[in-house]
Amino acid sequence: MSDPMIHVRGVCHTYRHGGVQEPVLHDLDLDIAPGEFVVIMGPSGCGKTTLLNIVGLMMPPSRAEVLRVGGRDALGLDDAARARLRRHAIGFVFQRFNLLPAISARENVALPLRIRGERVDGQVDSLLERVGLARYAGKKPGQLSVGQQQRVALARALVGRPSLVLADEPTGNLDSENAEAVLALLGEFHREWHQTILMITHNPALAAGADRVIRMQDGRFCD
Amino acid sequence: MVSLAWSNLMHNKLRSLLSALAVGLGITLMLVSKGLATGSIAEVAQRMQSVDAELVVLPAQDNIIFTNGAPFPDLIRRLILKQKDERGPIAESVIPVFFGQVSMGGQQQRLFGVDPAQMPLFLGHRRVLAGKAFDRARAFAREIEARGEPLPDDADAWQAYMAPGLELVIDDRLRRVGRLDPETGQRVPYRLGDRVRVMGYDFRIVGIVETGVAGRVFAPLQTMREIVLAGEKKSSMFFVKLRPDIDPVAAADRLAALLGSGARVELKSTYGTLLRQSFAQVNMYMNASSGLALVVCFLFILLTMYTVVIERTREIGILKSLGVTRFNLLALSVSEALLISMVGVGIGIGLALLAKYVLHVVRPLLTVTLSGSLLSLAVLIGIVGGVLSALYPGYRAARLDPATALSSE
Repeated sequence: MSDPMIHVRGVCHTYRHGGVQEPVLHDLDLDIAPGEFVVIMGPSGCGKTTLLNIVGLMMPPSRAEVLRVGGRDALGLDDAARARLRRHAIGFVFQRFNLLPAISARENVALPLRIRGERVDGQVDSLLERVGLARYAGKKPGQLSVGQQQRVALARALVGRPSLVLADEPTGNLDSENAEAVLALLGEFHREWHQTILMITHNPALAAGADRVIRMQDGRFCD
Repeated sequence: MVSLAWSNLMHNKLRSLLSALAVGLGITLMLVSKGLATGSIAEVAQRMQSVDAELVVLPAQDNIIFTNGAPFPDLIRRLILKQKDERGPIAESVIPVFFGQVSMGGQQQRLFGVDPAQMPLFLGHRRVLAGKAFDRARAFAREIEARGEPLPDDADAWQAYMAPGLELVIDDRLRRVGRLDPETGQRVPYRLGDRVRVMGYDFRIVGIVETGVAGRVFAPLQTMREIVLAGEKKSSMFFVKLRPDIDPVAAADRLAALLGSGARVELKSTYGTLLRQSFAQVNMYMNASSGLALVVCFLFILLTMYTVVIERTREIGILKSLGVTRFNLLALSVSEALLISMVGVGIGIGLALLAKYVLHVVRPLLTVTLSGSLLSLAVLIGIVGGVLSALYPGYRAARLDPATALSSE
């Protein structure tokens, strides 16, 4: 078996608010194989987003024995190395889209390539066409509907062909029609590009297309 | 990053414009105050260079800007004229000047009291545009120089006695600025024959000379001495025209040794430096005030950038999630501040040029010089200030934890 895309052992995390400590993750172990589509489900506040942020190198865990992402030991990386790993290996899709409001949809999608220092050729426009937004490429996020914004965000996450896509409640702010469209697109790209996808949601209906579903409760995996 | 910085600025145009305007106002203040100080000094120094002489003899320890009164007796002039080498006298002429004040052209002017007979040494190649460079005052001056009789002792006789000497020669720039007409409230150019009140006497304008001569207003030296010093032959300073084969530096040393501690002898070419030295404290004050204005402007940018960091915390989180490094975020912050600063510098230079034009219209006798080096200094200040004002907000942005930044509202 090849190295897992995500290999986590003994991850704990505790938030500190002033003098109060709030443990949210308890000794989690997780392996996700390359190309696997995994959904983590659980109620709000169970620690899903915290886990996603740790796996996405957006925050260090309070404690962990192993944290390997894309075959690299993430615990030993400094801030710049973590940023480089995010830049080249990880794509994020957020519940609130998180597009930059000052630039157009096209520029938002092109941003990961520009940050990598790569040339922006036709792939941005072709990706926008695939998500059905070619006509809106020049519009700023504020001029787009929420469904359109999430499709732009999806295109941005995928444009650099990252090996790992992390999706945090990507349909949480969408109506059912747009939610289905976004999930269909995510599934379509997954089948075509074989990226590893880790998606979190609290909606069981959205987990149907996943290879594996992991349930979480109070900072622990249930299964 | 620069294009993203530009997009960020354009996304909030009003705030960006206000920040740039604040920088621009600071730059304008700096440019105009420096340009005014250097321009005025350079203009006066340049005019002094027009005198056909090599040396100036000034009161020792005196500030040459505020040199007034007449500390030098005529003995000094005669002593200098007596200095000889094997070929004869080292000085061809010693030109006394008596400084006074006159209100003309809407401001105080330095009145140059000069011997009408020596007026050609002040004119050089510059022409008399209208009238004469003294008329009846020439004879009056000669008469006073040769006088042996007592002065008239009643008022009418005194006025009649002085009348030929009450003449003024002005330069063309002052003529154009003119006087305020009390009937119309408008400025009208001076004309030949206009009367100007000086030291309680009505002087008459008898000549207009090309701009660029040492003084804007000349009066007969002898007249001024009669009025102020009851005819005593004292002077405020001397220009010394040397024989052409005399080394000015050596001559200056020789005359300085001769005149002792009461006088200093300087090369005429150093007059500009002496002026700047005299203005040193004023310059220091102006530099301090314009520097303070610049600091306030850059604090404004810092505050703006800091507000931007606070407001865009979430966007910083987005950029971090995309793999932007701390250095990149710092560069973004610096780029934004630099763009604001450079636009501010552009606005500042534009406003300074406008202020120069307005000053030229409102106060035509003031000279504002916006030299290339001064403009380069403004650009440099813009760059350095922009970088410095962005460092702290940039540092804060760079230190933000991506997940925390993304969760901010």
